[in-house]
Amino acid sequence: MSIPQDGAPAPPLIRARGLSKSFPGVRALRGVDFDLRPGEVHCLIGENGAGKSTLVKILAGVQPPDAGTVEIEGRPVTFSGPLAAQEAGIACIFQELNVVGGLTVAENIMLGAEPGRLGMVDRRANEARARALLDSVGFPELEASRFCAELSPAEKQAVMIAKALRQNARVIIMDEPSSPLEELEVRRLYEVIGRLKAAGRGIVYVSHKMREIAELGDRITVFKDGARVATLARGEADAAELVRLMVGRQLDELFPPKDRTPGPPLLEVRGLTGPVVRDVGFTLHEGEILGIAGLVGAGRTELLRTLFGADERRAGTVTLAGRPVPPNAVPAAIEAGLALVPEERRTQGIVPVLSVADNASFVWDEYPGRRAGTQTRRAAVESIVRTLDVRTPSLDQRIGALSGGNQQKVVFGKWLTLETRVLLLDEPTRGIDIGAKREIYRIIADLARRGLGIVLVSSELPELLGLVDRLLVLSHGAIVGELPGSAGEEEVIVLSMLHGAPSATGKQEEGTRE
Amino acid sequence: MTEGEGTMAEGTGTVGRRRPGALRGKHLQTLATLSVLVLMCIVFTLLSERFFTLSNFQNLMRNTAPLVIAGCGMTAVMIARGIDLSVGSVLAASTVLAATLAVAGVPTYLAFMGGLLFGAVAGLANGLIIAGMGVSAIIVTLGMLNIARGIAYLISPSAILVGLPPDWSDLGTGRLWIFPFPILVAIVVIVAFHVLTLHARFGKRVYAIGGNEEAARLSGIKVERTVTILYVLCGFTAALAGLVLSSRVGSGDPNIGIGFELQVIAAVIIGGVSLSGGEGRILGTVIGALIIGVLSNGLNLAGVEPFWQYVAQGLVLIAAVIVDRRVNLGVLRMGNG
Repeated sequence: MSIPQDGAPAPPLIRARGLSKSFPGVRALRGVDFDLRPGEVHCLIGENGAGKSTLVKILAGVQPPDAGTVEIEGRPVTFSGPLAAQEAGIACIFQELNVVGGLTVAENIMLGAEPGRLGMVDRRANEARARALLDSVGFPELEASRFCAELSPAEKQAVMIAKALRQNARVIIMDEPSSPLEELEVRRLYEVIGRLKAAGRGIVYVSHKMREIAELGDRITVFKDGARVATLARGEADAAELVRLMVGRQLDELFPPKDRTPGPPLLEVRGLTGPVVRDVGFTLHEGEILGIAGLVGAGRTELLRTLFGADERRAGTVTLAGRPVPPNAVPAAIEAGLALVPEERRTQGIVPVLSVADNASFVWDEYPGRRAGTQTRRAAVESIVRTLDVRTPSLDQRIGALSGGNQQKVVFGKWLTLETRVLLLDEPTRGIDIGAKREIYRIIADLARRGLGIVLVSSELPELLGLVDRLLVLSHGAIVGELPGSAGEEEVIVLSMLHGAPSATGKQEEGTRE
Repeated sequence: MTEGEGTMAEGTGTVGRRRPGALRGKHLQTLATLSVLVLMCIVFTLLSERFFTLSNFQNLMRNTAPLVIAGCGMTAVMIARGIDLSVGSVLAASTVLAATLAVAGVPTYLAFMGGLLFGAVAGLANGLIIAGMGVSAIIVTLGMLNIARGIAYLISPSAILVGLPPDWSDLGTGRLWIFPFPILVAIVVIVAFHVLTLHARFGKRVYAIGGNEEAARLSGIKVERTVTILYVLCGFTAALAGLVLSSRVGSGDPNIGIGFELQVIAAVIIGGVSLSGGEGRILGTVIGALIIGVLSNGLNLAGVEPFWQYVAQGLVLIAAVIVDRRVNLGVLRMGNG
């Protein structure tokens, strides 16, 4: 746990001690220490909810810590807000890039400090200064007079970095900066980071990509469950070791045992083709959990949506328990016994302003012919709330006030008020904390044991491998391979990457919202 | 963006002209509304021989000037993603106040100043509540719409016609060579707001707040203060529009300007400002106001029943927004090559 304190005379750019932060039901950060030296890239890694985002938010002044101290270049600070942190020399390049589309590159870079007299902006001076800053971050060809709305993510990032330099930021926090970028743009980002390092700035770099961490990180801090597990210097640990530190021995107890024996075939998919999906065929058995792996953009979400009738089915057949499922109609898919738990819970899964009871009973109301059992609406809702252990003060509680995990249980439960045969799960544990994840895993395994067929899409490989009986690997909308549930992460990654692909590997789309 | 070609060499050269995508798009948008205006003028010229005459143009411009003036303030507010529903009522209260002062013997220019001051104060009240207390602009200015109208009636329950000094009408009816005063006032306001929004530091803040308020705040911009100033300006231009209007008709009428706010907002939207803020230009609003002005003037001359003018105005507004969206989509496609 000791942080190497070599003989650097200058105080560290950031020196944080004993930072703690709790949210209702979650201890997001427990007594974390953190240092950043000039000219250093300090990578933060950890699973969703491990605490790295919370640390970043505290350093950026977005949230105050419950306990602990932060020193900037030796001076203790307390940030009243993001602006205060910025004035202290900390700039953030978050994923939702804070550029103003209606202003030009130069205007964005200089916003708040435009040169000029008598309140007028001297456009030439403005653009000249912006241009000098763009040169210094290695983007000399980016035209200062272009409107930011039309820039690529990489160019927007360059604008934000140039702006950070203009504000004389000594610390630059980057949250998954390479995620929206193409391969070549990522190389370019690394060059920019090299320039920043050479200029003595410190960089806090949050990422899920092991390869990039190995390449960039001068030091790496691993988080797990809100605590700092280790801080390692470059080369002290390989990718496998980092994963082990991130996941820890918890891996075993996190997932329920795979003690199921899949039954007879339940869902037969033949030649399924849609806008993205190409000629997909597989058979799902009763009581089986079938995983879908693949890179971002491989068509995993689209596969589920095409099965469910939400995306156009252009060719192919889907048969559930011997009966054909008609194409392009969600109601028909539901009548046939399919159910979808969508990727974006807040926008696609729940109606935040309505109550738990209302959210849980949408499909019960709509599909009287498929109701499970003959109980009343209230009883149906009560039974699923009890079975799934949804923690809510009452059934009339607005669902938006519940934690992510409990909201997700209601989304699951909604489908259990019907006689659902096949459950399509798209990133079911995204953005919920580790404890709730474990509960969701148990629910998924229990449902499989009750004979439901489950198709699981997840970007988190440990989660996929921990749950599934079988795994299909998707690339460019087509199945490129099948692996047993006992396969290793490397096998999956190799198979996904083999068939050429978008820049990022599957693991890396997680973590956009912790 | 085309790759590579002009890198450093071009960068260090003179930077004057602006080019690609979005700007071409903004010009295209202005060009589209401008051509609609020209087309309307041609049609009305064919429909009525009285349309394309100096006196009709003077008349048309004089009638449209208040819309243009109030539209400038509204444009600035709407670029910052705000809205002001109270301009019609503020306009009425300001003019009734000015007329009352004038009747009481206050010199006309001082009475006018009183009216302008009222407009600014009403705007200040709007701005302080919206920006300072974080209440929705629609609600606050809807409240002000009622309050200011009430104040107008409280000052004078009926139109003030008698006792106004002779110079009351100078602003609305006088002219310099062939230019009626209302047009000159409008031009001054247009130039001032054009410079303010496009060339002043203040304007950059306004676009930044409308486009991405959080980014503006993190750039150290005093968002609350800027927004408050915008509503003050909007109240001020509403009062100025009212003075021009009532000077022309020679009265101070508490019933004036009912529904005027909707015309102003229509002009701004036809001119290319979106309700979601962050874009738009003063010159667009000027064209938008002229489209509304020409439409009603032309239909009058063509002998169309006045009620149809409402229908026509509504159709133009909806058509403008549809066209605007199409143009923007086209620009996006062009931008992506």
